[in-house]
Amino acid sequence: MSDSESDSTTTTAENRFEPATPNVGEKFDPVALHDDTDDFDLRPESDSCYKCSTCDTNCPVAEVDDDFPGPKFQGPEQWRLKEQSDDEDHEIDDSITECSNCMRCDSACPSGVSLSQMHNTARGEYVDDQMSKRSLKYWRNRILANYRTSARIASTLPRLANAAMNFGPARWVMEKTLGVTSEREFPAFATETFREWWQARGGAAASKERAQARRRERGEPVDADKKVAYFHGCYANYNTPEVGQAMVRVYEHFGYEIVVPKQGCSGTPMFANGMLDDARRHADITVSSMSDLIEEGYDAIASCTSCSMALRQEYPELFDIDGIETVASNTFEAVEYLRIHEPLRETVQSADIDGELADEFAYHAPCHARSQGLDRQAVELFGDLDGVGIDDVGDSCSGISGTYGWKEEKYETSMEIGDDMFDHMESAEGDTGLTECPTCAMQMEHGTGYEVRHPLELLEAALVD
Amino acid sequence: MAQEPHVVVVGGGSTGAGVARDLAMRGLGVTLVEQGNLTHGTTGRMHGLLHSGGRYAVSDQASARECIIENRVLREIATHCVDETGGLFVKRPEDSEQYFQEKLAGCEACDIPTKVLSGAEARQLEPHLADDVEKAIWVPDAAIDPFRLVVANAASAQEHGARIETHSTVTDVVVEDGAVVGVEVEHATGAGKRVHGTEGGTEVIRADHVVNAAGAWAGRLGEMAGVDVEVRPSKGVMTVMNTRQVDTVVNRCRPKGDADIVVPHETTCILGTTDEEVADPEDYPEQQWEVDMVIDELAELIPMLDDARTVRSFWGVRPLYEPPDVDSDDPTDITRDYFLLAHDDRDDLPGMTTIVGGKLTTYRMMAEEITDHVCERLGVTADCRTADVALPGSADNTALDDYMTEFGLRSPVAQRSVDRLGSRAGSVLDTDDPNPTICACEAVTRAEIQDAIEQSGTDLNAVRIRTRATMGNCQGGFCAHRLANELHTAGYDDATVRASWDELLAERWRGQRHALWGDQLSQAMLSYALHATTQNRGHDPADADTEIDFTAFDAGPLAADGGPEGAHGN
Repeated sequence: MSDSESDSTTTTAENRFEPATPNVGEKFDPVALHDDTDDFDLRPESDSCYKCSTCDTNCPVAEVDDDFPGPKFQGPEQWRLKEQSDDEDHEIDDSITECSNCMRCDSACPSGVSLSQMHNTARGEYVDDQMSKRSLKYWRNRILANYRTSARIASTLPRLANAAMNFGPARWVMEKTLGVTSEREFPAFATETFREWWQARGGAAASKERAQARRRERGEPVDADKKVAYFHGCYANYNTPEVGQAMVRVYEHFGYEIVVPKQGCSGTPMFANGMLDDARRHADITVSSMSDLIEEGYDAIASCTSCSMALRQEYPELFDIDGIETVASNTFEAVEYLRIHEPLRETVQSADIDGELADEFAYHAPCHARSQGLDRQAVELFGDLDGVGIDDVGDSCSGISGTYGWKEEKYETSMEIGDDMFDHMESAEGDTGLTECPTCAMQMEHGTGYEVRHPLELLEAALVD
Repeated sequence: MAQEPHVVVVGGGSTGAGVARDLAMRGLGVTLVEQGNLTHGTTGRMHGLLHSGGRYAVSDQASARECIIENRVLREIATHCVDETGGLFVKRPEDSEQYFQEKLAGCEACDIPTKVLSGAEARQLEPHLADDVEKAIWVPDAAIDPFRLVVANAASAQEHGARIETHSTVTDVVVEDGAVVGVEVEHATGAGKRVHGTEGGTEVIRADHVVNAAGAWAGRLGEMAGVDVEVRPSKGVMTVMNTRQVDTVVNRCRPKGDADIVVPHETTCILGTTDEEVADPEDYPEQQWEVDMVIDELAELIPMLDDARTVRSFWGVRPLYEPPDVDSDDPTDITRDYFLLAHDDRDDLPGMTTIVGGKLTTYRMMAEEITDHVCERLGVTADCRTADVALPGSADNTALDDYMTEFGLRSPVAQRSVDRLGSRAGSVLDTDDPNPTICACEAVTRAEIQDAIEQSGTDLNAVRIRTRATMGNCQGGFCAHRLANELHTAGYDDATVRASWDELLAERWRGQRHALWGDQLSQAMLSYALHATTQNRGHDPADADTEIDFTAFDAGPLAADGGPEGAHGN
């Protein structure tokens, strides 16, 4: 076997770790154990861990919480100890709920172990089998994880919702009964959602016309094959439609026609709360519409880095849905896609910016952008843009990790993790923040009082008239 | 009343420990001597299968019947050693249908419960079975931890007054007036719990009877007594995987052959095995092709084994015996049955009985038979109770679930600890002191390590077999030094601790040599870096015979010059 073994090891090793490309967990083909379940075999993950503990040293939660056993325990160690036929006796340790799902351990691992897949799986099992479905914590987590549902309802009466959600006594009750921290201010709902704006603007047909007009101006073939399907996610739809609008205008500027397909929540907050069934329901919707479009030649674009992370990595790791691999391998972050297909850097170099966004920005790279290899993208791109200054505030985690920092019992940990980032923001020039992730933006704003913008808004200001 | 008869049992494997327990429970005085730690020989080097008898149901039905009887007994008396996995005999397309039917009929003839599963049903039970597995026979095979089993037998013997001497080699059998009257023993390092560094010594242990349960070494003991015991040692390789690819014992349903069984064992699977006669039970080649062959062959049943990580391989030597008139050429033809050699009848040498052959599953039955024999020779009348009285650790498991929350351990750590300790969990884990996890791979806490040190003295390999510490994927990379630290904390001096630590590392390395590719090679390199550089295991002046005079070092430049700008000697 020695010969054949060394061959197969070489191939596996290559698949497993390619430092030049982001580690998106493609090292092995997940095999569904049974046709009717989403149980993937995690043995290769356990086999690959050689216990070096690099993941533990990169874990922002372990850094501030000595009682947290860290990703190595949560992932490969616990999996191996637990894996046995008499499963019911072998429980998931409740410390799994302390993990914030920042997924830094994934990129830290020198052996390409998909720790987040192990964590997500364990958390799902913990919530399914060990968490009381009658507990307030379960329902608090379920409500937080299903932000899309609350947001959809709130958006029907945005002004009332905005007032009610931040009404002091109501917040006190929410903290005392549900454990949602009253320290934070709820984000405001937009008076017009992105999708409403998109419909009013004429939808895909109008986008096609605009794209074709731009192609003519740019001297490109009018029927150029430049089309993308936009995954706006919940936040750009309900809370920051200006980000979605910027995406549309920037892409049309480069001659892309856009469609905005039917879509669910990306599932990010559901993974983080172990609500895999909820996430699966939403994934079914998104994968179904996106995979059809991809077959027609569209690429999937997300403006939120956690959304693109979910579609690219977590979907194929956790679910077995028709077309899921196609979606995963054709999903891109919005700026990343333009960097690949357009001379974006040169275009930005020759542009300048004035008005409101001619500013100094403190840029924070979200953990999930980091996992996709995008952490230097905004800094490198806008470093060349006349009229703005950009400071990278370092490689720390913001600490909010979506719903994590909204939980009353996690609030202190969340803020302690964020301390580094706050300090660096304070010492950076300017007092406007910049990041791709909506919840990192909440934390940046909460910790410093800065207004926070999205890189697409800068691109729009620089490139679109 | 005269003092009770005293019996010396030679051999600390399953048979010896079982005999010691049985004799002690019948009220006899017992001294067990073992050249290494308990399970040092074949018992510690087997794949941990508690036979249902299915494997012998065609070729050797007498053994098969014994197996199923003892299988049922051990599920009762050794609950904390047994993992009730069940077993499958799986048939691939090229395997004979006729043999499949013979196997089924044989099991029935031997009262072994069976159930025939279609290929799809078998894969429902074990998803990693190959797609072309056609069908399977389910039998009540199980996994058993031989270490825990032997330690529990020895502990029970001790509770009944036996003396257990490990690291004590028999150097002579004392024969007076044509009868065996005792053995001469060389204690490696002093009588009692082994202590490195103190003076060893020779002791003559007189006995009314000597039981030779030395397994592969039984011939050597026979020689010392002047009798011929023709043991034919046969080696077999076993390969340990990093995870459980199956939760059920998987046998290939074909006539006996190499590489036809996978046994889920604790966190791992053990693949086995081969069968090749060797001249010397202590000195035989361990060859890579044997490992490769086992993995290749078994990947036909479980394809993912091809790419799965192995953590080590080890070889065991079967102490096969056949009566002199049979003379088989091939070791696979030698019977797996056991033989009681009454040397008084056979060789006109009273005072000694040898037991050879057999298998772990039937250790208790063998022990009962030889104890009956010894009692008869010594004129003792007492009933055997070993099938009815549970072993220490298997006493009463009803309260186990309550332990989980009691000890403040993380779930998988608590679960594994309780699985290992059985009914002893409460007394071992209930501590007021901090109880960190020492071995993270196998979830062993300090309290369990300390308990093992209390039982076994300074031998860290003995701590290992009691706790599984160092037996996980890093093979001691992260915990060997922590174990050494616990030994030191228990009050043993530097030199003793270091010697024991060295032995542990050497033992771990011995098996890992046969797993050095892919993931385990990465692991070994990391362990090497930790041990050789961080702990300077390569060239540690502290390993020298002389004590290091740490006080002779100066206090450093800061103290010497009274300030941070002090000379750095450059």
